[in-house]
Amino acid sequence: MAPETLAVVGRSVPRLDAREKVTGAARYVTDLALPEMVHARLWRSPVPHARLHGVGVERAAAAPGVLAVCTAADLPVRRLCYGPAYKDQPILADGVVRYAGEPVVAVVADTPAHAEAALPLLDVRFEELQAVTTAEAALAPDAPLIHGALDPAGHFRDLSGLRPIAGTNVCHHWHAERGDLAAAFAEADLVVDDAYHYPALSHHALEPHCVIARVEADGSFTVWTGTQHPFPVRRELAEIFDVPLARVQVIVPLIGGAFGGKCYTKIEPIAAALAARVRRPVRLALSLEESARTITRHAVTVRLKTAIRRDGTLLARECDVVLDTGAYADIGPRVATKAGYRAPGPYRIPHLRIDARCVYTHNVPAGAYRGYGVPQVTWASESQLDGIAERLGLDPLALRLRNLLKRGEEYVAGDTPMDGDLAEGLGAVARAVGWGVPDAPGRGQGLACAMKDGGGTHTVSMAVVRVHADGSVSLFAGTVEVGQGARTVLAQIAAETLGVPFETVVAVAPDTALTPYDHGTSASRSTTVMGLAVQAAARDAREQLLRLAADLLGTDPAALDLRGGRVVHGDRALSVAEVVRGHFGLVGGEVTGVGTFVPGAWSGSLGGATVFWETGMGAAEVEVDPDTGAVRIHKYVSAADVGTAINPRECAGQDEGAALQGLGPALFEARASEAGQLLNPGLIDYRLPTFLDLPDRFDTLLIENADGPGPFGSKGVGESGTFCAAPAIGNAIARATGVRLREVPMTPERVWRALQDARPKASAS
Amino acid sequence: MLRPFELAEPASVGEASALLARHGEAARLYAGGTELLLAMKEGLVHYDYLVNVKTIPGLGGLRRDGDGTLRIGAAATHRAVERDPVVREHFTALARMEADVANVRVRTVGTLGGNLCFAEPHADPGALLQVFDATVRLERAGRARTLPLEALFVGPFETCLEGDELLTEIAVPPLPPRSAAAYLKFGFLERPSVGVAVAVTVADGHFADARVAVGSVGPVPRRMREAEAVLREKAIAESPAALEEAGRLAARAADAVTDLHGSAEYKEHLVAVLLRRAFRQALASLGVREPS
Amino acid sequence: MSDVAVAVTVNGERHELTVPPWETLLECLRDRLGLLGTKKSCDVQVCGACTVLLDEEPVSACTLLAFEARGRRLRTIEGLAEGDDLHPVQEAFVEHGALQCGFCTPGMIMATVALLQENPTPTPDEVKHYMRGNICRCTGYKSILEAILAASRRLAPGAETGRGA
Repeated sequence: MAPETLAVVGRSVPRLDAREKVTGAARYVTDLALPEMVHARLWRSPVPHARLHGVGVERAAAAPGVLAVCTAADLPVRRLCYGPAYKDQPILADGVVRYAGEPVVAVVADTPAHAEAALPLLDVRFEELQAVTTAEAALAPDAPLIHGALDPAGHFRDLSGLRPIAGTNVCHHWHAERGDLAAAFAEADLVVDDAYHYPALSHHALEPHCVIARVEADGSFTVWTGTQHPFPVRRELAEIFDVPLARVQVIVPLIGGAFGGKCYTKIEPIAAALAARVRRPVRLALSLEESARTITRHAVTVRLKTAIRRDGTLLARECDVVLDTGAYADIGPRVATKAGYRAPGPYRIPHLRIDARCVYTHNVPAGAYRGYGVPQVTWASESQLDGIAERLGLDPLALRLRNLLKRGEEYVAGDTPMDGDLAEGLGAVARAVGWGVPDAPGRGQGLACAMKDGGGTHTVSMAVVRVHADGSVSLFAGTVEVGQGARTVLAQIAAETLGVPFETVVAVAPDTALTPYDHGTSASRSTTVMGLAVQAAARDAREQLLRLAADLLGTDPAALDLRGGRVVHGDRALSVAEVVRGHFGLVGGEVTGVGTFVPGAWSGSLGGATVFWETGMGAAEVEVDPDTGAVRIHKYVSAADVGTAINPRECAGQDEGAALQGLGPALFEARASEAGQLLNPGLIDYRLPTFLDLPDRFDTLLIENADGPGPFGSKGVGESGTFCAAPAIGNAIARATGVRLREVPMTPERVWRALQDARPKASAS
Repeated sequence: MLRPFELAEPASVGEASALLARHGEAARLYAGGTELLLAMKEGLVHYDYLVNVKTIPGLGGLRRDGDGTLRIGAAATHRAVERDPVVREHFTALARMEADVANVRVRTVGTLGGNLCFAEPHADPGALLQVFDATVRLERAGRARTLPLEALFVGPFETCLEGDELLTEIAVPPLPPRSAAAYLKFGFLERPSVGVAVAVTVADGHFADARVAVGSVGPVPRRMREAEAVLREKAIAESPAALEEAGRLAARAADAVTDLHGSAEYKEHLVAVLLRRAFRQALASLGVREPS
Repeated sequence: MSDVAVAVTVNGERHELTVPPWETLLECLRDRLGLLGTKKSCDVQVCGACTVLLDEEPVSACTLLAFEARGRRLRTIEGLAEGDDLHPVQEAFVEHGALQCGFCTPGMIMATVALLQENPTPTPDEVKHYMRGNICRCTGYKSILEAILAASRRLAPGAETGRGA
């Protein structure tokens, strides 16, 4: 809990953007329009793998309203390919198509309808080639190679150690080991070896991808985009057009959801290249189905071999993680590394071997998605753990408590020690779900626990706080408001640190020409990493204000306090406005504070130290309809260790939203594909969680021990709620029915089949 | 994005029929658009002319005849059926089914007649209306015919409507005394995966009549007459075994297809499960306890 | 192609429009009338981001043709607040933190207004059933459910701060 002396930190102040959002006044990229703006539509490949033999553009180019028809060869770019890990993705397909839905030709017209109407007039000649549409097929020794030599992007320190396996479709292989596996497996009382599968998912943020790009008279680029990574997008565009960073301005208004689907560069290069071509502002707005053909969550297969003593002590674990990253790597290699790093789970396991392979296929590229691999590996590791408990006749809670890392214990030698109390969180969800009380007939309970290195690996954030002459404050932070409440929380940190009323702080939307550098809005890093930069900037401004006030009052800064927007000295007080104006002797002038967060020097196997451990726990109580296999969730309790909740309601909202987002893939959500064709791109056949999926009892517990590295003891939150839903529910189903599923979603049919298979054959007639 | 089309708003059924005759396959009736416009937006179909039936006088209402038959005009929306007091009182299962079609926005705009004529296989009304022995009135210039609803459905997205014909009315006769109907559906996608409708008439401790229809499972919603025959005249005391047998027969006859909703085998299994449960629900609403 | 004359009242203001028959209500509201609070998302009437009220009944603007609004009254998210005074449903959404990215929020609020007009005191199950066609990817629905129930209490006859929805 926040100390009582805090004015605004620890309080559930309403979001800064609440009013504009409930009145419909909020503006997203999809709501923006520029003078002279024209519209682009994309012709996408109908097949997953093809050689392009040319495009007949004449009829489309002559269609009403059409300004330009562009293939890869027509784009005025210095480099065609981009990507945060490898420069492997062409802005438009260049000679070869690598997934169904890949953009091949772009049409620019005066209206969206004219651009759309021209698409069927294109004559794209191609020869379909054999497609490799599963990771398993892509790993086969004779599988066709999807890419030739790879060109590392060199943008991020943690990706400096990319390890493609030459002559294969593996674009990155992360490996780590410690201890003596053979000895541990020999010593174990029980060795369990099984595999789990987690399918590809669509992010389906409600606002599909949208970009508006304009080339200015001086050759600079201005891009409005719903990206989580304005600064990496800026760098990518600067390289594509070979212009200095200062000549690319990326502006991010409010975003209608992201969940990782708007990480790094997506469709910005297409819009920017078309704008350069037609010299008019170009808007490229995708449909929800097109967004589903732009990026996915990795389908992952995890094989785990775990050695354990009869008393439940974990000895060793071998983790083999295979990720289908699709046709282009996107940030897949980092997802693979992180999935591998986190696969063993939050436990003390002396002997480990981990292999994570990121595999190209002819599928839609896979990238970041809330949790970066944790939901996939946790599905495997926490399911297997319950299987082990059952085999050993141990209580699943007791088994976990025996092995959970303790506060201060190292997960990996050299990395940040565990900074929270995992047992406290797990105990809390267990109590809340009624663990230990015998299950009601037909019902079962299940638990899960997981963690991830939070805050991003070796990432930098900077912030500027400007205190104006009237006492109001502008906060310049490059964190993107994707809905998580970052603007509000960062403003709370700034107001608290400065000692000014919350209402006086205005958080400025990210604009790479105005807001200082930030790595990006991902990895639950904003409250902690950007929060520290904001806090440092606010402290800087506060110290300056106190010095100026001390001069005005003829005293020492140490004798002064600044709170509630007033500098207090005994029974005298000056408002912040009086300090600024008093110093400058004018109605103008301002005090500017600058803050930077630079990560520590340690670089272990991830390429940097963990900023904080983001831990999540979940507990479910379910009932299974044996006739249909339908699973009903009576209770779901989630816990998140937030250190200190800067804004408790927004913290709870993050965790509730994440937990419900986790219920989807646990029970029904999955992309369905056949031979590389996505069968359910839209919402008729791709089911998202609805109101009806809200469990009868659905609670979130915030663990607050003020033990985080962020401002006021905070830690990041937002992803952990997604970690545990699938295994907690799977474990509950196993308790209720005796059957364990190894593939999500646990659809009624899968559960029903598992029940059928488990029935003794003699009575199954 | 919709491609351009012309809107025709005839003032009578005859005029609508003439428009359809004139434009042939370039024209399509438009009754609510909740299915049609989706298909047109996706580019799956295109029509140069949409003929609006909702502005034809007299096609919108619901009324109950002297003999208790419910007459639903072609332009009546799902919401209108769902909320109509007469339907709620005398055709409770129909009101319940309608209240659970898609979502409230679709029901506000979509029409029951349009739903039937679009013949989307994954839909609710087709199955339930069949256990009421509902009929449809099909009209064209100078001619009208009345068919059992079952005859309307020819295949997925395909009906027996002639090119210049339009559905003008759905007639739902009342069930006999001591009867009840129930509709149960199952699925996890936006559209239903399996729908089973039953109607049962009870007399002297036995099924005087039993009707079963299955929707969403196969290409078209269908009455399951073999299953009905097994149940008819059976004593309620024997119903568990009879329902099991009826479920098996209905499952086999359902012509289940494997798709994103599930495998044919699973859907067949669900038909039997839902059939049993629907009968139990219908019997319960009559105050009859099924032996277990 | 012949356009359709549409006289429609939008948020209390009368408009005489001429629209092509294939123009959707969403295109009409956003591109013609500049009412950008109504959002386009799934475009197949599943998500509810484009929910508006037509004669006080909820419809999906993405799939309703604009000409269908002729002679009728439309209400959009822009038509709820009276000056600086938020509608009680809007107030409840703010107070209960019932929004995050906000993209579903206008549709969610319009659906709530329709629900409470039809059923001023819904049970939680009735709320879930009515609102299941409005998808929120961010909040997990719990806070929205709480906001809806709170708005219901506030709007209930006899409630002190209530005013007509």
